[in-house]
Amino acid sequence: MTADKPISVLGLEGPPIDDSAAEGRPPHVAPKMPFRRWVRELGWRHLVGIVVGLFAVFPLVYVLSASFNPGGTLTGSNVLFRSFSLDNYVALLNDPARPYAAWYANTMLIGLITAACTVFLGALAAYSFSRMRFTGRRVGLLSLILVQMFPQMLAVVAIYVLMRGISEVFPAIGLDTQIGLILIYLGGALGVNTYLMYGFFNTVPASIDEAAKIDGAGHARIFFTIILRLVAPILAVIGLLSFIGTTSEFVIASVILQSPEKLTLAVGLYRFVSDETNTNYPIFAAGAVLAAIPVMVLFLWLQKYIVGGLTAGAVK
Amino acid sequence: MTTSTVTPQRQRRASAQLPSTRTLLLKIAMLAIVDAAAVFAMTLLFFQENWLVLGIAAAVTLLVNWIYLSPGVLPAKYLTPGLIFLGVFQVFVILYTLYIAFTNYGDGHNSTKDDAIAAIVLQNTERVEGSPVYQVQVVEGLGGLGLLATSPDGEALVGTAEEPLAPLDPAAVTFDGGRATAAEGWTSLGLQDILQRQQAIADLQVPLSDELEDGFLRTSNAVQGFVFQSVFVYDEAADTMTDTTTGIVYSDLGNGQFETEDGQVLGTGWQILVGFENFLYPFENPRYGEALGAVALWTFAFAILSVALSFVLGLFLAITFNDDRMRSRKAYRLVMILPYAFPSFLAALVWLGLLNAQFGFVNEALFGSADIPWLTDPWLAKLSVLIVNVWLGFPYMFLICLGALQSIPEELTEAATVDGANGWQVFQGIKFPLLLVSTAPLLISSFAFNFNNFNTIYMLTTGGPRISGLSENVGHTDLLITLVYKTAFEAGTGRDYGLASALAILIFIVIATISAIAFRQTKALEDLN
Amino acid sequence: MKHSSLMKVAGVGALALTLAACSGGGTPAPAPSASETAAAPGGGGELVIWMDQNRADALTDVIATFEEETGTTVEVVIKEFGSIRDDLTTQAPSGEGPDVVLGAHDWIGKLVQNGVVAPVELGDATADFQEVSIEAMTYEGAVYGVPVSIENIALVRNTALAPEAPASWDDMVATGQAAVAAGEAEFPFLIGIDPNTSDPYHLFPLQASFGGPLFGQNEDGSYNADDLQIGNEGNLEFARALGEWGAAGLINPNISGDIAKEQFAAGASPYTITGPWNLSAFQDAGIEYAISEIPAPGSQPATPFVGVQGFMQSAYSENPIVASQFLTEYVASEEAQTAIFEGGQRAPALTASYEAAQSDPDVAAFGEVGASGLPMPNIPAMDAVWGDWGTTQIQIITGQGDPTQLWTDMATKIQSTIGG
Repeated sequence: MTADKPISVLGLEGPPIDDSAAEGRPPHVAPKMPFRRWVRELGWRHLVGIVVGLFAVFPLVYVLSASFNPGGTLTGSNVLFRSFSLDNYVALLNDPARPYAAWYANTMLIGLITAACTVFLGALAAYSFSRMRFTGRRVGLLSLILVQMFPQMLAVVAIYVLMRGISEVFPAIGLDTQIGLILIYLGGALGVNTYLMYGFFNTVPASIDEAAKIDGAGHARIFFTIILRLVAPILAVIGLLSFIGTTSEFVIASVILQSPEKLTLAVGLYRFVSDETNTNYPIFAAGAVLAAIPVMVLFLWLQKYIVGGLTAGAVK
Repeated sequence: MTTSTVTPQRQRRASAQLPSTRTLLLKIAMLAIVDAAAVFAMTLLFFQENWLVLGIAAAVTLLVNWIYLSPGVLPAKYLTPGLIFLGVFQVFVILYTLYIAFTNYGDGHNSTKDDAIAAIVLQNTERVEGSPVYQVQVVEGLGGLGLLATSPDGEALVGTAEEPLAPLDPAAVTFDGGRATAAEGWTSLGLQDILQRQQAIADLQVPLSDELEDGFLRTSNAVQGFVFQSVFVYDEAADTMTDTTTGIVYSDLGNGQFETEDGQVLGTGWQILVGFENFLYPFENPRYGEALGAVALWTFAFAILSVALSFVLGLFLAITFNDDRMRSRKAYRLVMILPYAFPSFLAALVWLGLLNAQFGFVNEALFGSADIPWLTDPWLAKLSVLIVNVWLGFPYMFLICLGALQSIPEELTEAATVDGANGWQVFQGIKFPLLLVSTAPLLISSFAFNFNNFNTIYMLTTGGPRISGLSENVGHTDLLITLVYKTAFEAGTGRDYGLASALAILIFIVIATISAIAFRQTKALEDLN
Repeated sequence: MKHSSLMKVAGVGALALTLAACSGGGTPAPAPSASETAAAPGGGGELVIWMDQNRADALTDVIATFEEETGTTVEVVIKEFGSIRDDLTTQAPSGEGPDVVLGAHDWIGKLVQNGVVAPVELGDATADFQEVSIEAMTYEGAVYGVPVSIENIALVRNTALAPEAPASWDDMVATGQAAVAAGEAEFPFLIGIDPNTSDPYHLFPLQASFGGPLFGQNEDGSYNADDLQIGNEGNLEFARALGEWGAAGLINPNISGDIAKEQFAAGASPYTITGPWNLSAFQDAGIEYAISEIPAPGSQPATPFVGVQGFMQSAYSENPIVASQFLTEYVASEEAQTAIFEGGQRAPALTASYEAAQSDPDVAAFGEVGASGLPMPNIPAMDAVWGDWGTTQIQIITGQGDPTQLWTDMATKIQSTIGG
């Protein structure tokens, strides 16, 4: 249906996207509206935004305030921002037994590498599902999604046995290694994300492929130089989703990683509050606040792709 | 677009042109690296005599080479990397879990039969009452490893596993401060040798005399030796374990443990295959059965409501902020996304604190110190869990709907408006169906994810206020997956991985079937479109 | 075409073999990797120890001395205390497990059932340890580790709000309520429990004072799994009392362990029942405290459970001699015991160190309270008890039924789980 329409992937920062702009008419500028109309048309939207925004944000504000409050539990800081001190942050970063900075670096590394590889593997698979016709295509896509539904937390023993086996052949990618953890995460690369990409790939017209073929390009070159650039938005989206999923993953990471300096944020922070006789909620709050920042930054940066990118391709 | 008058044949030839030499070299290099790694691994596996894995590795390597070196098979070339990871780290995991489901692996059945026998004997080796402490020196002679022992009154004795301790002529023995350190005809082992043969030395049992009842000498630190008596004796021929103090004979009745006919069992057992026993557990265990119905119902309700509520909220927000006349919509959007940016288990812990009935922020600050039992009243607990899950999930739905709304072409809306439809009718008739079609697979995956959403539930309520009236320890907010966890790991009979695996597989089958059916429906929807 | 595919195959093959040969030259010749860990060629053996962070800090010097004197290389792996037991059980049989672990004594039954710990023979040195610590580490007649610390809970009171130790349970409650009425405190006393699973460990002294043990005891002091006593009359009395306290708000499921600690540190209550691990938080908050025995609501003394931590040896260790040496000569030595004590706040198990530690008034006070305490049962049958015990307590506290009925049902259920 939208085969001929150029894909609008820019966000809404520029002039509003409506057909008037696309077809050359002067952009529609809204005149100042009378107040009652404003309330009816826009005011309620602001109200909704504020209410839902508060709902979305107050636990996070709460954690922020708890992180500035030395001493206390997550329930004791009921007066928001009762005290303001950076003690918790200082203590967090200066604990030699709990190298928070190392955890941070690990998590970023693992997250980014996993995201990049997931995107790449997914793109390869999505491309083949989208462009090529082969037996088992439909069933294949469906089964990819279904296979990923296995409750992984109960498969922990199997994962441990697998990694132990790998350690015996390639210790560098086995137990207690970050590469091993990345490999396990890549086992989940083909799944719903592939479906999302498949949908988006479908919107790239096949005529582009054909034109390139006639010009003499091989399939690999078509894929890498032409198609990937066109589907950049969905790649950004999947990358972000994968990054978020990886950085908050906890169960498998705690099975695979052992040495204190190799832990990820999720595993390390959990240790602050898991030993009953040794909990430290304020520092945990500080750690959690810092942990949320990169994801937020990444999200802000990729936002424009996401808005247009997620399902633009799925509607045919 | 160029109108192509090229014949199909010419097209095919064009696409079958050889790739450039650079690409070819690159391909060969990468393939070579993979092959080198595979050969390396296979060599190691060969020496470890791990034939099964070796065979699989060889087959896969050959297949990969064939795929990338043959001219055609394009789909395979693109799918192979991802599929390899999927196969090793997902499919294998599922298959291995399936294997465990057929065993009784768990507490009391931790390892092999040999390990169990060794453990039972070791645990039941008692020091003989009132026996003296010997100073020992590990030695080696013609008969193998032995102990050169000095008794408390200074007598030097030597013996091996076969030869009981026999006194030595003092002249043939070198003493060092009251401890015999060397003897003629025997080589004393130095520290390095002892370290190399630790296990053999620790296992060494030198009979004290020809009488078995006198016990044997054993050392655990190569310096001191104590006299022990084995309480449990394993008879290999009869495959029985006998308790010499009580005379009871335990035999292997095929249940992976040593037991007597009237039910006395030795705690340490071993893994065996138990067939379908674990899979039949929910059907054969009446107590579990009562709990199962209520929990299954709640699990479906929880998953469906979570997805539906977050979808509705997300969609509502997407529509609200889709109006280009709002200038601050970017800011609102950012705020809406924040919950998704926060690691989910951290968020669960935070909500746990917020919802504390007496001290939590929600009750103190928002409800004026009311004591609303958010997490301890059965219905409120269900509500709280849903609210937290919606809080965690609505940003994702918001994003999806925002994107989906953008991609619905304006022409359709305009056409409908021209035809006289108002906003709501446009939404109902055009936007919503299109939206559903495009987001359906995501909704189904979300449903599957929430069906198995262990972390959120466990962290908030550990399954929730206990359902009174049931003898099983099941709560009002337990999902099937938390129920499996409790049944397999917290039921009081120890951790039963076999049972957990079997139940996990059953859940997987249920959820996969439902999802597959749901997908078929959406395909039908798409075709209708 | 054919040429090029042949060439491709040949090219790949040649490269691959070259690469493999280069890397193959670097690998050790056909020696399975497993045996390599048994003895390092240059040094004096290897040892892998699993500990939690606190103990590792305290033991660095002792380990350094051990390494120097024996030439062993010690690798300390920091793990979460709660995961050590299960990880040891899963990993030991594969040969990849540790040689020595630090654990709690009530794990021993399970570990023995799974065949992953080996008995440790202390010989005459057994007499050098506090009796309760050896008792705790004993299972079915064999000692399974070297104890290093002993802990128990006691009544900690805020001397500003309650200058004197309470004479009885009613006295304590009265003083507490008076303080609340006078506006000096918010809670009569604080005992932290989980809103869903309670905290049977903290409530146990109260239960014990009604004459309610969990299991009967054998002659040698060990627990008899076949003699479940949890349903006996004394325990039923406790259940009824618990129901009353819950109704009166004395025991509040909304107060978790963390909240109790925080509130007491903020001076919100004159009394709390807790262990030595929270003392530093109270000190930091400037609370003046005193430790005394827990007043008994029943007719018998309120003796708390005694928890013992110790080092255990893996049955699958490939360095049994070195591990044994480490345990019997270093961990059992006064230096190590004192070092661990100074690093944490729990009393040491070696009598010599214990006596020396008595100069610390807190340790002495806790020790006095725990002197008549019994170790937590370490038998595997305890597993069947914890879960239902806790949730039933919550049901009683929140008034969800008749305490006697609930408790009796619980006892029946536990009995059938144990009985199989």
